[in-house]
Amino acid sequence: MIICLVMGSISDVQAQKKLQNSPGGYHGELDFPISWNRYYSYVEWTQLMKDIAKKYPQLASVESIGKSRMGRDQYLITITNKKTGTHDTKTAMWVDGAVHGNEVNGITCSLYLMWYLLTRFDYDPYVYELVNNSTFYILPGLNVDANASFVEYPNTGNNPREPYRPEDNDGDGLYDEDQTEDVDGDGELSSMYIEDPKGSLMLSEDGRRFVSVSEENYPGMRFKRIGSEGFDNDGDGRINEDDIGGPDPNRNYPYGWNMASGNPYPMSEDCTRNAYEFHLAHPNIFATFHYHNTGRLIMFQVPQPVKSTRPQQTQAAGQYAFRQGRGMTAAERLEQMRKTNKYAQYFDRQVPREFSHDMAVQTNIVTMGARILKNYRPTMGGLSGQTAASTYNMLGAYSYLIELWGSPTYDIDVDNDGRGSQDEYMDWIDIEMTGEGWINPHKFDHPDLGEIWIGGSAKKHMSRTPPDRYIQSEADRNAKFVMYCASQFPKVEVSDIDVTSLGDDLYWVDVTVKNDQTYPTASDRSKKLKLYDQDVLRFKASKNISLIKLDAKLPIQDPFTSSGGFGGFGGGFGRGGSSAMKAGTGDEIKLWVNGKDKQVYRYLVKKSGGKGWIEMDLSSVRGGKTSKKIEL
Amino acid sequence: MNSPACLFKRFLFVLLVILLIGLPNSMKAQKVPVSFDEFHGFSGTEQYLKKVAKAYPDITELRTIGESTMGRPLYVLIVTNRQTGVTIDRFVPLQNERKENVENVLPMPNHLGKSGQWICASTHGNEYTGTEVCLYIIDKLITAYGSDESITDLIDNQSFYICPMVNPDGVYSSVEKGIPQRQNSMLKDNDEDGKVNEDGPEDINKDGVITWFRYKDEKGRYVLDDEDPRVMVRIGRSEKTKKERWSMILEGIDNDKDGKTNEDGEAGFDLNRNFPEGWFTADGYQGGTGDYPTSAPETRALAEFFTNHKNIHQAQFFHTSGGFTYRPMGSSGDDSMHPADIAVYDYILGKKFLEILDIEVPKAWQYPDSLATYKKELAKESKNKYALKRGYEMPRTWKVSYNEQQNKGYGYGLQADWAYMQQGVFSVTTELFNYRTDLPGHKFEGKDAYRDYQRAALKYQEDNFDGKLFKEWENFKHPTLGDGEIGGWLPQYGSNNPFPGEPLLDICEKHWQFEIFRAGLMPRVEVVSATGKVLEKVGKYQIVEVTAKVKNSGELATHLGNGAKISMNRQDVIWLIGPRDRLTFLQGAAWQKVGVLGGNAKIPTQSKGKNSAEVKWIVKIRGNTPIKVVLTSQKGGTVVEEVDIK
Repeated sequence: MIICLVMGSISDVQAQKKLQNSPGGYHGELDFPISWNRYYSYVEWTQLMKDIAKKYPQLASVESIGKSRMGRDQYLITITNKKTGTHDTKTAMWVDGAVHGNEVNGITCSLYLMWYLLTRFDYDPYVYELVNNSTFYILPGLNVDANASFVEYPNTGNNPREPYRPEDNDGDGLYDEDQTEDVDGDGELSSMYIEDPKGSLMLSEDGRRFVSVSEENYPGMRFKRIGSEGFDNDGDGRINEDDIGGPDPNRNYPYGWNMASGNPYPMSEDCTRNAYEFHLAHPNIFATFHYHNTGRLIMFQVPQPVKSTRPQQTQAAGQYAFRQGRGMTAAERLEQMRKTNKYAQYFDRQVPREFSHDMAVQTNIVTMGARILKNYRPTMGGLSGQTAASTYNMLGAYSYLIELWGSPTYDIDVDNDGRGSQDEYMDWIDIEMTGEGWINPHKFDHPDLGEIWIGGSAKKHMSRTPPDRYIQSEADRNAKFVMYCASQFPKVEVSDIDVTSLGDDLYWVDVTVKNDQTYPTASDRSKKLKLYDQDVLRFKASKNISLIKLDAKLPIQDPFTSSGGFGGFGGGFGRGGSSAMKAGTGDEIKLWVNGKDKQVYRYLVKKSGGKGWIEMDLSSVRGGKTSKKIEL
Repeated sequence: MNSPACLFKRFLFVLLVILLIGLPNSMKAQKVPVSFDEFHGFSGTEQYLKKVAKAYPDITELRTIGESTMGRPLYVLIVTNRQTGVTIDRFVPLQNERKENVENVLPMPNHLGKSGQWICASTHGNEYTGTEVCLYIIDKLITAYGSDESITDLIDNQSFYICPMVNPDGVYSSVEKGIPQRQNSMLKDNDEDGKVNEDGPEDINKDGVITWFRYKDEKGRYVLDDEDPRVMVRIGRSEKTKKERWSMILEGIDNDKDGKTNEDGEAGFDLNRNFPEGWFTADGYQGGTGDYPTSAPETRALAEFFTNHKNIHQAQFFHTSGGFTYRPMGSSGDDSMHPADIAVYDYILGKKFLEILDIEVPKAWQYPDSLATYKKELAKESKNKYALKRGYEMPRTWKVSYNEQQNKGYGYGLQADWAYMQQGVFSVTTELFNYRTDLPGHKFEGKDAYRDYQRAALKYQEDNFDGKLFKEWENFKHPTLGDGEIGGWLPQYGSNNPFPGEPLLDICEKHWQFEIFRAGLMPRVEVVSATGKVLEKVGKYQIVEVTAKVKNSGELATHLGNGAKISMNRQDVIWLIGPRDRLTFLQGAAWQKVGVLGGNAKIPTQSKGKNSAEVKWIVKIRGNTPIKVVLTSQKGGTVVEEVDIK
């Protein structure tokens, strides 16, 4: 794993078989061909996982982490190079999709990541390094019952969304008794309209859609919209008022849980509980992605803000370092931040100092995410029983909820007024959708309502989840972001050991410890939760070299550097170096190494006799093990 | 006066006497004998429940609602007449259903259509007195059915859910194995040595039982009693003493040679801190037990059962010991509760509880009309803001676990808090058995009360159990702790549970009385009348005005103060039902909300809620098609009535 890299022994693993450095060359995509122009049924996508794991047995394993309420297996694929260490010894990324049953775009994005990592492993050095050094746990569909239904049955964009716990939505005493139905049997759910002399709608000239009545005294036939297709199953005069499904699964996690939205109790659903239990059993999970639709958002978990702030006492916020932000008002600080980060306004939160590095890390990572995902907007995630809230606050992992895709405004807004008009939408249907996804209004004899009209967009893949032709571009960018995050997992290094003679066999030995990655060896939150043992720096030396213990509290008097003393404020990046020198207080020092951190420890040693050696070992639970040895 | 008429009268009288005394005795003969001369433990309880379910199939049903870590079933015995009771789902036929055919909604059983009472025990495995009380309650219910009118009525019209062991693993360890275990069982590695549950207690002197090992230890927390050195007297860490200090551990050795004894046994965590109410600390960290609320299989089983039995209106979580009841809340103060609920808890339930235990009832509860006076008096002596608002301090025998003086929660993730706050149930935690009062013929007071109880208990077990419950201390050389003595109480006895036999029976009887009192308070909805008045006849159709008058004949309202607002709870609802092609609604929807029907009990300080409602529809009916109304209340039952059309 990381050890191998740091020790410079990657050649021990295996040379990359079919290295491809040309961006125009073949990167393995036909080694295991998958079409990214459609959605897959539960049976199909789980079969894809099993087949690809069979194709790449040295890199992938598929297991069921448990069964859903309706008895479906929740299949998870674990990806890592097994030859460089077992999955649980490596720092891991968790990716899940479609906790909301209808948001099956998360399945395709998860599958795409799986496919990208496996098929490119032999060709792409970037992927090769990631799969050698880290583990990916990918659960493409979390809410498998509703996932299966959404793809295989006629649905609107909004259902089925929840796990299949029976629920009495309308309070009539019956459970899930009035669900949506495909009234006209065309395989799609669209909208129902009924003739109504007082209605506000009329048929458009071309007869393809209902539009607002243009003139007050419009003499023609008027309509009103009833709603999505469906029958009045229970005869209470209402349609689709008690659809299938119980609590919102993304309000069912423990942190910030409340009864009203996450009922009946935290982790009540098999599918959410199994996923959380897996996470609990795998403390090597360092960061998590949770795919949702829709809205093109990067919702990242950050520490809770400080309760009250006085402008003159601002602490580090966002990317802006503690020292630099001192003494500024919130507005001044934001202004300063925006000079280097155009997304700065999305990270403007002041958090307690003990969590300031988490805030800085997330600012850094998500800024990069916004760059990779292009038109996605960063936004701070909420609590209220959401998955990501628990993974960050209870399990200490850096968490990201991605709202994939979004309304097609971006593509259809020809006149550039920032919104898509009905005409622009129809053009989009005709030109980019080549006519798909639209149902022309037609009459139907409804058993409860009599003669009605049915028509409009075929909701399922036209609103919530992107139409087929958008799947791959969405998945590709998102895979890049996940991989970027994994590439920033902590990797500690003893970069330098500098020796300065003080005469009389005394030496200063300055040991530089660093982590060039964005992520620290432990999140601030996981430190508070006491999830990991601290990193340890060990001093070893030949017998003729002994350590004179220094006092951690006293400043070092150093005639050779003008800026002695101690550094080490929490918060942002880019500090450290000689000004942050710390005392080598013993042969075992416990420390935390932050993201993009460099720390120098100064040891005082005495050497007697001829040659000797010093070896510094640095060991970090998540940042790997490394060592450096010098002759003295 | 030996006229035939007189003889006949005498004959009738004799017959009556036989009926009253003789016949009932033979008819009431217990089909499943149960004795309280010994603790049942897990196995005895399981056997008893199975026998009862087999012998009384008409009024009981044994359900397994989950499984413990060690694979033991979590049993709930449902006691109710299985023939009576209706539910709404069977009256509403569904049409044109979605073709997916998901079978996630099962038909509702009869007992869901009746007001429910949950009684459980042994959430803490070593507090098994409650398990015995549960069995006593079961025995009382099933044997009185058919002979006692009021109990028969309760079994016909209400549902009892009795779960004698929430923590069957803990009970098994505590009773069968003799290793007291408050927690559930978990497969875990406390000492992180890579081995699971490898260092629990064991019978090291091979006398067939696990007792205690006591040894001299300058940091010990015990001294020996002067009068009876068999008795261990607890002493504070910093308390000064001239006597020798002793430590006492359960019999056991250091199995894994890590220098610690009994540190990695089967015990997991406290289940009564694993519920979702108030589990987190105020600053967002873990307060309760487990990785998350309901993480234990036992906790989840209860949460799931309550979720699927919204008819539960009252709940009892038996614990030991202390001889008092905690009513909610424990994790927050009275200000988090609806005032009407506090009134029911204290003036109705609390008052009765104290009466049964023969303890003085606070004046404010006896004479609530004078509450203003008591409030004034209290203002002079108390700074407890909760008490000042109520008008009384909570008596020691009926109290809240929340620390009102210091405004501090008692614990995180408490089960009774959860049942009250998130399920809308009148829940209580009764701490059974008070050693000060519950050893027959004794009362212990003062600071040495527990020592005095221990002395008397030793005598009691000599007189009543031939001294078999206590092993005389014998010298033993412990492999790591050195010289000491093995002996003392068999861990099942002499501590936080009463002795079996008379002391246990006495407790069973008192708490049966309390539970059956509570059963009598439940809401019960009724359709008083359902009539139709024909307004018009049009061809094959009649235009009919339907009027349904409904009421709650029970003592308490169909929901707690905030009950109907709790997620997954709903108001009482009435449906008008007929064939859909023959019944058309002109005015009034097919089902209408009737709110929360109030109860009939007079609840001091509270104005009486409306216990009745009238609902109207105007419908078009084809011919003489029969129609009916179904009144369905989550906690007050479901009833059906044909509409009488005139």
